Amino acid sequence: MKFNLSALRPLWTGLLVVTVLAVTGAAIRPFEDPAWQFVRAKQPALKLDSLQGALGQGVTVGLLGGFRAIVADFFWIKTNSVWEDNDLPATQTFIKLVTAIDPRPLYFWQNGARMIAYDMPNWRIVKEGGYDAVPQARQRHIDEEQSEVALKYLREAFGHHPNSALLHIEIANVYLNRLKDNVSAAEAYRKAAALPSAPYYAARIYAELLRRQGRHQEAYAWLKQLYPTLPQVADPAKGITEFQVQSAMAPVVLDRIREVEAELKVPENKRFRP
Amino acid sequence: MNTAFPFPLAGRPVPFSPGRLGIVAGNTFLEAVRQKLFNFLLLLAVALVASAQLFREFNFGSSELKFISDFGFGAMVFFGSTLTIAATAQLFFSEIENRTALTILAKPIWRTEFIFGKFLGVFAVVGVFCALTTLLLLALLYQRETALMNANPEAFEHGRIIHYGDLVLMGVLQWLKFGVLAAITLLIASFSNTNLYTVVMGFFVLVICHLQYLARDAYGQVASLPLRLLVRMLGYVFPNFQVFNLADQIGIGEGIDPGIFLRVAGYALIYIAVIGGLAVYSFRNREI
Repeated sequence: MKFNLSALRPLWTGLLVVTVLAVTGAAIRPFEDPAWQFVRAKQPALKLDSLQGALGQGVTVGLLGGFRAIVADFFWIKTNSVWEDNDLPATQTFIKLVTAIDPRPLYFWQNGARMIAYDMPNWRIVKEGGYDAVPQARQRHIDEEQSEVALKYLREAFGHHPNSALLHIEIANVYLNRLKDNVSAAEAYRKAAALPSAPYYAARIYAELLRRQGRHQEAYAWLKQLYPTLPQVADPAKGITEFQVQSAMAPVVLDRIREVEAELKVPENKRFRP
Repeated sequence: MNTAFPFPLAGRPVPFSPGRLGIVAGNTFLEAVRQKLFNFLLLLAVALVASAQLFREFNFGSSELKFISDFGFGAMVFFGSTLTIAATAQLFFSEIENRTALTILAKPIWRTEFIFGKFLGVFAVVGVFCALTTLLLLALLYQRETALMNANPEAFEHGRIIHYGDLVLMGVLQWLKFGVLAAITLLIASFSNTNLYTVVMGFFVLVICHLQYLARDAYGQVASLPLRLLVRMLGYVFPNFQVFNLADQIGIGEGIDPGIFLRVAGYALIYIAVIGGLAVYSFRNREI
């Protein structure tokens, strides 16, 4: 039987096509790379780490370009639907899925973390027999477990929103309200207050938490430093709005300064003068 | 019949003719716009882009303008990809199945002219699609931004947020991406026997090209050397379609860097030329 070389032609054609494409891909890579790095820097969602475990569940559709926002929004509605049913595994999965598809809106991270840290412990305790039946130690343990999950989730969000004061505040709230950890909460509020986008209350709460820890001297120094930076009169020319003045609550900060001065017994002549 | 090079009666090959290529492209374009598929997909895309405003109630995270921009480009990408793959495969196989390819290639016409003519025809159709959807999106965003500016002037004290020129650049980039996709579909069609196989493979390649960057990321994490080489090879073989995704900057007040735009456009044109060349090579070896 004579071997027919022409029968191998499709194979050679296929090999040639793959080889030429691979060589082109390798040759064009240095040309493509700056553009790809630019796109990637602008779209933190395009990271393998943030997609692992979520691929194939709608992420593919989202990643095919463009529809990411609406796919994430529909999954967020689905998240709320399973949240209403107190379905912990499904809620947790959908929370992760939504931020894997579209990590850009802070709203998803904040509300997802709140569901994990504040609602899920309640569901677990109810499932184990309710608040009367479950011992305090066990309740505390569940709170700690869920808070850890929420904190891990929020820290992951910094990969997409590195300068978000609201994320630090969310972390601080979990420490403060769920874990009753004033030290860690104060540190998170301090980090939030240091950022330009921080709401005014972050700095005020930091000072209050310092006072709760008995660190009155530090609180006093912080408040004295804070007060001159607060807007007290609306000035459209400087871009200071009435809302900013009201949010800054300068008179309240001054009251706190006076309270700390009383606690520290600061002599009249050495008191803070605005 | 193998007609890799056209030989007229004198026995000498005729030179490559842009005119003949233009005729094939023109016919392909006319045939495409007469198809129900083109009109149907265009109507769907236009309807979806126009309805972006109705869906804004679903927007939980990003700003309204960003949402409309994302939604519009989403519709363009989804229906544009479908149109590119389906139209390319259908227009190519209609010539084969109706035996018109035999009549055309029996004349002094290069297979290169035939393939690139088909490509240019589809590219023009997709261009019309991109132009219409981009224009509609521009109008929609402009109208909505104007309404928001009137309702809330403080939020727009530095002027308009949307860079409308960049919207046009994004439309151009999407068009070029569809060009690469059309070239890939033609390459598949050049060796495939059926329209269905070409369409299915075209969609597979579309997904792979969008997700190939994950293979590149995974490359460093694979322990086995042969597997690592395979993953690296995959990253090289398929073009990276995510690089065309610059629309994220639109709607949040950030523009598109012209240097990056030119680089991505160049990337697409290189791939169109190379993949188109491979389609010609493969088609020349095909018995019709």
